[in-house]
Amino acid sequence: MYEARCALASPVRNPRMAVVIGRLLGLAFIVCFGTGVYSHFLQEPLPWMRFPTRPAVLYQFTQGTHIVAGILCFPLLLAKLYIVFPDLFQSPPVKSFLHLLERASIALFVGASLVQITIGLINTYQWYPWPFPFREVHYALGWVLVGLLVLHIGIKLPIITRFWSGRAEAAADVDAEQAARATVAAEEAVRLWGSRRPSGVTGRLITWIDATPAAETPTTDTTTTTNTGTGTGTGTGTTPTTSVSRRGFLATVGIACAAVVGLTAGQTFAPLDAVNVFGPRKKGVGQQGVPVNRTAEQAKVTASATAAGWMLTLARDGVERSFSRAELEAMPQTEVELPIACVEGWSQLAVWRGVRLSDLADQVGADPEASFRLISLEERGSFKQTEMGPEYVRDPLTLVALELNGETLDLQHGYPARMIAPGRPGVLQTKWLSRIEAITA
Amino acid sequence: MNTIGTTTTGTTTTIPHTGDRRMRVARTILILIGTAGLLFGLFVLFDTVRIARLPGVALWLGAAIVLHDAVLAPLVFCCGLLLRRAGRRVTGTIVLVAQGAIVVGSIMTLIVVPAIIAQSLAPTNPSLLPLDYGRNLALFWLAVAVVATVWSVVLYARSRRANQRPSSRHS
Repeated sequence: MYEARCALASPVRNPRMAVVIGRLLGLAFIVCFGTGVYSHFLQEPLPWMRFPTRPAVLYQFTQGTHIVAGILCFPLLLAKLYIVFPDLFQSPPVKSFLHLLERASIALFVGASLVQITIGLINTYQWYPWPFPFREVHYALGWVLVGLLVLHIGIKLPIITRFWSGRAEAAADVDAEQAARATVAAEEAVRLWGSRRPSGVTGRLITWIDATPAAETPTTDTTTTTNTGTGTGTGTGTTPTTSVSRRGFLATVGIACAAVVGLTAGQTFAPLDAVNVFGPRKKGVGQQGVPVNRTAEQAKVTASATAAGWMLTLARDGVERSFSRAELEAMPQTEVELPIACVEGWSQLAVWRGVRLSDLADQVGADPEASFRLISLEERGSFKQTEMGPEYVRDPLTLVALELNGETLDLQHGYPARMIAPGRPGVLQTKWLSRIEAITA
Repeated sequence: MNTIGTTTTGTTTTIPHTGDRRMRVARTILILIGTAGLLFGLFVLFDTVRIARLPGVALWLGAAIVLHDAVLAPLVFCCGLLLRRAGRRVTGTIVLVAQGAIVVGSIMTLIVVPAIIAQSLAPTNPSLLPLDYGRNLALFWLAVAVVATVWSVVLYARSRRANQRPSSRHS
């Protein structure tokens, strides 16, 4: 019986594997959180905040990383949940008040993690099938998750430190490897035949699960290939070869990670463009070779943006100057190569030509330390009016762009004029500009 | 003591006692910081999302747990069981390769199917979801199947050779 239970226990469902996958997942969560908070404060800066404008590809990098790490969480989180799944059926379900809190925190952790990566992914498809606002909930859940992650690490610290090093485990073979398996078996024994064997649906489910070999990890393996030669094929009498099953499990997770990242990251990471077969955006696809986030039709600006009397107004303390497109074209033009990098994770390097924003600011004599408010022709939308700190306003690469990739700016890219600045999210690169005003403190 | 490490109650007793005090301090600090982060997140949630929308958030959190624990995880077990039955006459490593292939294909499917749905819903922006995701997903499954088959054949040939040396009973 003991041997049978040993064979039934899945070799990847052990603390060492939980630590191995858990720390990768934790790292991915931290990366998502860090890059997410950076993106959040770029969009909603606190008054004292200033941001680096170099390297110009900074936001392309951080937000591309945010999405890549988020996609990585799919295989990693599913693997982690696979490893710890039997713990859902611990018996007794609740041992103490603290244990209840711990289990509640884990339930919230699992639910919030799944929701966070799911809405994050589907947001990149611009599909919003949920009954709540995406941006606010995604940001709040980011804090909830990073808090729960630290809490989880605190709760599990003894296990994490003990199983952190594989070498320590190998060195103390009996202590860790064997003990872990013995523990697994003992636990299974308690679970299956202990006095508190759960009854009803749960009990049957547990029995079913325990009697079912793990999906990614059959207990018969290469060392048993010589046994399979005997033709019995039942597998129940064979000893599990944990190392092969573990390697198989890790290889599966690794290949899944490589696949989900490799086949989507080309939307931001140019070297992978050729194998971008699942990314929601494709480099070079869109008007003038640049993808479009919000179309002129969605923004309802087709009429106002093509109206003959369009003027760009610059304002500072009652001083106002308006420029027609022809007047802007007559000013000194600057050509810059900058990426447009979307919060949704795609990015596209492009050549922009137009008037330096600092030149326009000087035309109305704006304070060099002033922040600016950028107002679009859009009638509604979260980003019809945004603010830009002086570090971007005075950057020589920041333009009111009139041309894109050698052509007059397409309507979909913000004709008659749009902002382009280094290291800013695409939603802040205001399209269909109407008014730019210095904010007086 | 727990196998998986989801319950800590009692596990501490299995740890060498030398670092007990340091461990307790570290855990306390982490738990306090973590709780603060969690509470701040909940504050942000309540502060920025209208009360009427919060039940929707709770619903999604609950549904995610149910979907995983009651649908996805049992499905994985079920597939494992079926595959194991189907694969009784092959070596374990080949079962492992087949399982790995199914897992990789399924995870990719989970990620790509919403893109296919979204594509069918919103055709307003031609640069959004511009690829043929259905076809690409089919090709992906095909590629995974081909790689898994080749891999299995190689493993089979190798194990056959290995088995033929000590005994020729393997068919």
